[in-house]
Amino acid sequence: MRFPIPTLLAVWSAAAFAGTGSSVDAETGLTTWQTESQGIQVRLTQISPDQARSFYQARGFSPAAAERYASECVFMTVVRNIGDTPIQHRLADWRYESAGVPPRAIRSKTEWERIWKQLGAAESARIAFTWAQFPDTQTFASGDWNQGMTSYSVPRGGQFDLRVVWRAGGTIHSEKLEQVKCAHENS
Amino acid sequence: MKIRKRVSKAVLAACCVFGLAVAAQAADLSPLSHSLTTQTPRPAPALKLKSLDGQLLDLTQFKGKVVLINFWATWCPPCRREMPSMERLSQALKGEAFSVLAVDVGEDADTIEAFTSQLDTTLGFPILLDTRSHTMQAWKVAGLPTTFLVDRQGRIVASAIGGREFDHPEIIRAIRELLNK
Repeated sequence: MRFPIPTLLAVWSAAAFAGTGSSVDAETGLTTWQTESQGIQVRLTQISPDQARSFYQARGFSPAAAERYASECVFMTVVRNIGDTPIQHRLADWRYESAGVPPRAIRSKTEWERIWKQLGAAESARIAFTWAQFPDTQTFASGDWNQGMTSYSVPRGGQFDLRVVWRAGGTIHSEKLEQVKCAHENS
Repeated sequence: MKIRKRVSKAVLAACCVFGLAVAAQAADLSPLSHSLTTQTPRPAPALKLKSLDGQLLDLTQFKGKVVLINFWATWCPPCRREMPSMERLSQALKGEAFSVLAVDVGEDADTIEAFTSQLDTTLGFPILLDTRSHTMQAWKVAGLPTTFLVDRQGRIVASAIGGREFDHPEIIRAIRELLNK
């Protein structure tokens, strides 16, 4: 991981996150994108390919299987209810869009389970994987929050927009995180 | 050789969790919450698991006590962050009809002990092993950490999704109200 001097002085301020914005962590060099709207706060923080490899090998995945996941564009995803009314999300409603590719749904845990079984991953590894992903659906009361991984089939260093959808008070809401960038191989 | 393999596995697990925790730190800048969500009381699902020290614990043994049940894993950053506050809560209510149970999903004793041994505090509450995540599924846990508060009658009365400061006065007050019922 390289840290040019200007990066070390990168801005990390609450102002960067008023509404929608991004910021680079001076220690890790990893970028976080965040949006706050209508009672929800959504954050995506880059996970580097090395971090993904290490994490899943430590959970019992073979190097080949861990590489399969690390080859995706992976983020630590946090959703927090910052309002007063319960909110509900369904990951299946979210869409990501990169240049020249129609909007796609995030690969579900069920689909990943199929891939892991095909690759012969042990049950214990598959269990760890399931719980490390961001939940497929959840209802968040005021103050509730959760984090987990989401993955996108975008090349390393590639870019996409993510449309986040949630329900609150019987109404469907959506917000966009724009120009989210995948970590490079040497992040 | 067997012991070295177990230690190496535990060290690798600890290192990789740390590596991911570094990445997750940027995502973890949000403070831990300190509220519980009140729920319409409903009977708690069955919970009967082995603890780290090999004892079989059944939630029904705790009837008459208020119980905080926390579902977690060592690789889960907010789970790790809130664990010391669970011990402080346990100490704050020592001697009262209150217990904490921490249910770990999918991990073995070595991995859990590699984590707990690096804490500044010794955990005094039982850590239970939900190796195949069947209990988590029965409790309809969607993500980690998720915590439930069970009253003296064995009913779920409150829950928390996401990391908490469990020894926050607001949470201690809520638990004392249940103890006084």
